[in-house]
Amino acid sequence: MTEGADEIIHQPIRLRVMAALTAPGCRAEGLDFTQLKKLTGATDGNLGAHIDHLVRAGYVETHKAFVARRPRTTVKATPQGRAALARHVLFLKEIIASAG
Amino acid sequence: MSLSKAEADAELAAIDDVVQRVRQSVIYRVSGEIAAMWGGLQFVQLAVTMLAPAHTRGWSWLFVDGLGVALTLVMLRGAGPARPALLVRALAAFALFYGFGFLWSYGLFHFGGREMAVFWRTLFLFGYCLAGLWFGFGFLAIGLGLTALIFAVYLFAGAAFWPLIALVTGCGYILCGFWMRRA
Repeated sequence: MTEGADEIIHQPIRLRVMAALTAPGCRAEGLDFTQLKKLTGATDGNLGAHIDHLVRAGYVETHKAFVARRPRTTVKATPQGRAALARHVLFLKEIIASAG
Repeated sequence: MSLSKAEADAELAAIDDVVQRVRQSVIYRVSGEIAAMWGGLQFVQLAVTMLAPAHTRGWSWLFVDGLGVALTLVMLRGAGPARPALLVRALAAFALFYGFGFLWSYGLFHFGGREMAVFWRTLFLFGYCLAGLWFGFGFLAIGLGLTALIFAVYLFAGAAFWPLIALVTGCGYILCGFWMRRA
């Protein structure tokens, strides 16, 4: 049995952010803030706060750049974040299996 | 922290939903880039038709389409982790596309130049219409919209047929490609 739910990933917006960043087909350089906003349905401020939370946990890293004179933030899952999501998914599947 | 089965189910469903949406956005992005590339090739085709010696014009499509197929495979390969099965399927799709096309346009009927241009372009868009049934409304809208425009050019363009067909399909693919990338 795995340790339990990952309290950082357990939050709905952060769960969706991690799922998007680790999805097959996601670019190696990650996803930009606008794409994540579409995928999570979060507002700018809310998403920013959750991404900061994930950065502090070491689950994602951000890269800021200017593209066509506009600021662009790209977010990418770290190996630690990928492992944490994999553990969390395993934990969820164990709950479902044990409930029969 | 413990969770109920319903909560676990809901979290897994949320993950699956996001994974599917990322997958769809990748399909739209890559298809959009491929459509824009084929749009550019329509202008190359027009330039070759206008500039090449008369006796080579009939075969210019071989050069342009060959380039398009090669670039499509390169773009699919660059879209993500190398998946040989995807490339084999893409090659098989092109083989079927050209096989059916030749059967109809050369084997069963002998289309004239304009009919040939309309036939191949709409056959290509027919693939987009079918893809729309699986991958989303965008493909269907592009397939049906551009097919209608191509038929309008065929019926009403008169002497301006060749430049207009290049403009409609070239600009059409490019604009639709960029729209799909952003969708």
